[in-house]
This record gives sequence, C-alpha cells and structure tokens, in this order.
Amino acid sequence: MTYASYLYFFAFVVIVYAVYLMVPLKYRWLVLLAAGYTFYAALNGILTAFLLVTTVSTYLCGKKIGSLQDSFNAKKKDLSKDEKKQFKAVITKRKKLFVGLAVLVNLGILVVLKYYNFFAEQVTSIINLLGIDGKMPLLKLMLPLGISYYTLQAIGYIVDLYRGKYKPEQNLAKLALFLSFFPQMTEGPIGRYNELAPQLVEGHHYSNENFTGGVTLMLWGFFKKLVISDRASFMANSIFNDYTSYSGTVIVVAAILYTIQLYTDFSGCIDIMSGSAKIFGINLAENFRQPFFSRSVAEFWRRWHITLGTWFKDYVFYPVSLSSPFMKLSKGAQKHLNKFFASLIPSAAALLVVWMGTGLWHGASNKYIVYGLYYFILILLGMLFEPVAVKFFEKSHINRKGAFWSGFSMVRTTVLVGFGMMLFRANYVTDFFDMVFRVFTNVNFGDLVSENMYSLGTDKHDFFVIIIGVAIMFIVAFLKEKGRNVLKSVAAGSIPLKWSVMIGLIMAIIVFGAYGPDYGVVDTIYAQF
Amino acid sequence: MEDLLRILNEVKPGVDFTKEDDLIESGILDSLSIIQLVTKISDEFDVEITPLDLVPENFKSAETIYEMIQNAED
Repeated sequence: MTYASYLYFFAFVVIVYAVYLMVPLKYRWLVLLAAGYTFYAALNGILTAFLLVTTVSTYLCGKKIGSLQDSFNAKKKDLSKDEKKQFKAVITKRKKLFVGLAVLVNLGILVVLKYYNFFAEQVTSIINLLGIDGKMPLLKLMLPLGISYYTLQAIGYIVDLYRGKYKPEQNLAKLALFLSFFPQMTEGPIGRYNELAPQLVEGHHYSNENFTGGVTLMLWGFFKKLVISDRASFMANSIFNDYTSYSGTVIVVAAILYTIQLYTDFSGCIDIMSGSAKIFGINLAENFRQPFFSRSVAEFWRRWHITLGTWFKDYVFYPVSLSSPFMKLSKGAQKHLNKFFASLIPSAAALLVVWMGTGLWHGASNKYIVYGLYYFILILLGMLFEPVAVKFFEKSHINRKGAFWSGFSMVRTTVLVGFGMMLFRANYVTDFFDMVFRVFTNVNFGDLVSENMYSLGTDKHDFFVIIIGVAIMFIVAFLKEKGRNVLKSVAAGSIPLKWSVMIGLIMAIIVFGAYGPDYGVVDTIYAQF
Repeated sequence: MEDLLRILNEVKPGVDFTKEDDLIESGILDSLSIIQLVTKISDEFDVEITPLDLVPENFKSAETIYEMIQNAED
C-alpha cells in the first residue's frame, strides 16, 4: 500500500459523502451500497462474486427461517400445550436445516479458500510419516479481502434469526449493504445486524458534530498508523527476520516495538474506518477499549479486538457450553469430581474450542494454533490458581483492587501479551521458542546503547518520535480510562481548539509520517486475515 | 429465590447478591461464571436456558436472573 492510497481513501470518503448529501434522504443508503461495491470491486475484482454468493445465500436462508417462525407464530394460538411443543420441535428442526445450510455455504467458502492448502500439507506430512509415498495436491487459491469479517457478520445474522432475535431483512439490497459497508470491509469491526443495519438504511443529515468528530478520529488513526506503527515496523522486521544475529535484549526491544506496531496499526486503521463511518452519522462497534490497562489476559481479550471476542462468545462459547454433549460433561463432572473441578472442566473444554477457533481465524498455520493455545493455557492457569490467589489476598491483606496490585497486574499482563506478540510475529513456532530461550539466556544490556542497534531502519530520532507518540497515546488512553474522551471533547470544543488539534495532527502526519523512498506505507496487518 | 441465591454463592462466594445491582458491569459475573451458573440453574430448576437468554440485561442482579428463570419455566 502506498501513502497515496490513504489520500485516495480520504478523497473517496469525501466524494461519497458529497454524493450522499445530494441524494434525497430516503435513497441515501443506495449511495453507501454503490460505494461499498465500487470500493470492494476495485480492490478485489472478480473475487467480489464470493461476497455476492454470501449475500444471496444469507438472504434466502434468512427469509426462509423468518417464514417458518411466522407460520409457527400464526398457528400456535390455536394449539394445545402438547401440540404447540410438537409443532415447535418440527419448526425448530426446519429452521436448523436452513441455518445449517447458510453456515455450510459461507463457512465452507471461508474454510476451503483459507484452510484447504494448510489441511492438504498436514495430510501429506501425515501420510509421508506413515511411509506412504503420496501428496495431496495444493491449489492456487485467492482469498477475497475481508472474507473473515463479512462471513462472521453473515453467520451472526443468520444465527440470531434462528434464535428469534429479530425479523429477517426482506430487501436483498439492504442486506447487501449490511455485508458491504465500505469502511468495515477490510478489517472490521464485525458488526451486528440489529445495531448496524438500521443506521445504514436510515438517511442521515449533515451534522457538524459528526463531520468534525469523524475527521478528528480519522486523523488520530492516521497519526497512529503512519507516525508510530510504520516507524516501529522497520526495526521490528529487521530483528524478527534475522533474530539469530541478535541478543535476547535486542529481541525484547523488537517484541516491544512489534507490540506497539500491531496495536497502532490495527487500532489506528479501526479509528480511520470508524471516523469515516462517523462522517456519515454511522457509529461502528467499539473494537478497542484501552487494552493495555487490563489486569488479566482474559480482560485483555475483552478490550482487544472486542467484536471478534464477543462474536466467539455469542456464537461459539455459549452455544458450545449449552449444547447437550457439554451439559452431559458438566453433569458427569458434578457427579464424579469436587465442586471446583466440576465447574472448571466443562468451561475449560468450551474455552479450548473458542481459542482453537480464535487462533485459526488469524490464519492457516500451526503458529496460529499455538497462538490460540498460548492464551487458552494462560486463561486456564488463571482459573486453576484462582482459589490460591483468593487465599493469598486474604492472608497477605493486600488489596486486590488497590493501586499497587492493579499496577503490578497491568505490567504482568502486558509482559504476557508481549510474549504472545512475539509468537504472533515469529516466522515459525520453533523461532518463537528459540527467541524466548535467547531472551532468558542471552542478556546484553550493552546492545541498547550500541550504534548497530540504531542502524536497523529505526534510528535514534525515530525512537524519540515513537516514545513521544506512545506517551501522547498513553495520556489519551489514561484519560479515557478515567471517563474523559479527549477526541470527543476536541470535536465538540471551540473552533480554535478543533482547528489547532486537527492542524497539529495533519502537520505531525506530514512531517513525521514514516513514508519511505516510494512513499510506501506498510501493509495493514489485520487486512490479510 | 433462596435456591438461586444459594447457587449464586456457590459460583461466586463472598458476594452479597441481595445488594449487587450490576453484576456484569462490576465484573462479578463473566462469561465463564455465567456458564457455570446457567448449568446449575438448568439442573436445579429443570429449565432450558438458551444462548439467546445470555444477554447482560438478564444477569444484572439476582432479581433479573430470577425473572429469566420464571420466563423459561413458562
């Protein structure tokens, strides 16, 4: 991606918004739909066909589920309690059929395009291990942009229809808009139909508050991405791609830089996208809530990539936990185990499914499976040691919610997340273990002041800019944690304040934007998922 | 209601559930404890709690949980 692409995106938003305002209120959603497909087709070409298949299959299955529910509602008044129960069972079975069909088509496309080659490689290595000479063919598959996001949105919509949460969308074009709103096509956030669709379809008037609020949020996102993230990426890449040449101390610096890079890249892009949606008067779901203020790894995942976490909670964790095999497991555990393990084991089993899914969602490789397992093990350890922790706090009289322990817990969580980031960035799982070994066995603080360290694409001046940038972000996040939203206050503030902050951000992006010789900008990390 | 309070205390000991009125916001109940709670409730009250019932509004307080159980019984 080039620096100019962001300018094109900004120009695209401005043009679409100008057209949006020219069209009568009632038809404004059609402008968003046309913009979504123009944007998507420009980036994806023929692969747009996959989006169309998802849209049409979700629409048809959704309508069928809705009509089945309507037929039940119409007849149930005239039925006795037993008849109603029987009829409900028949209707539920048919509804399940259409949910299954929609999930099969949509998850099927995702699984084949994203995981087929990984699966084929695993099968080949297994049969070769067994001494059989053979090879499962690899296919040249192209992954449509944003497929991991819009597929989850479509599945969420269809499952909620099955659960009777809302009525199906009767207008194909309106459902198409829900699955193709251009600001969220590449990196989410993963929206919910009942929250997002009404906002998209409703025509919005021009609002000064939305416009300045949106532009400020976009500039803040550009600042995070272009000033901090891309600058940190140069050195992180140099070290991670050749980590054997460096001491454990330098690897720690690389892990810190990569953590900064990933957070500012992903949250920065989400800010750009949420800001552009805000201009149209549309509020996208919150995807980050100051994750580095988390006191535990579980809390971190409730604050980082929130829409993915809540999606897995609502559509994987809850249904899996409440499914009959898991309920049986739970009842069996209650009979044969003590209270603590009886409640721990079913939850742990459901969590394992969730974390395997979360890991694999990020990509088709062993590394991402281990990444999911890493967080599963940490959360499981937290659950296992909770009774010990409760006793520890009782006896030591340390206030668990006090400032000292909270601060310690935040640092501990950040360190654990840092190791997670190291795994996420490592080229192979074995590299990760090797790097961890080096971190603990090859300490050399002298490297921190060595000139070599600052010749890896991120020099001393760059470090200075990153530190200042991170300090500004920290202050903004700290104030938000205390209930003060600085960006909102700026957007709602006086004209001199608004303009000075916006000009300040623009100047910072132009002067300190880490664009290289070809005005190249580092590709956004989460767009590849 | 007494049975429910007993179950709640088994899942989260040391909390006065008669006084707490936002169990989700205060972080007392998370998704794991909700599942433990629902498993026990389904067993003791012989009701079917579905994923659709698992929304924050139903788990705000002991009273809202009790209302959810009563709705599931109907």
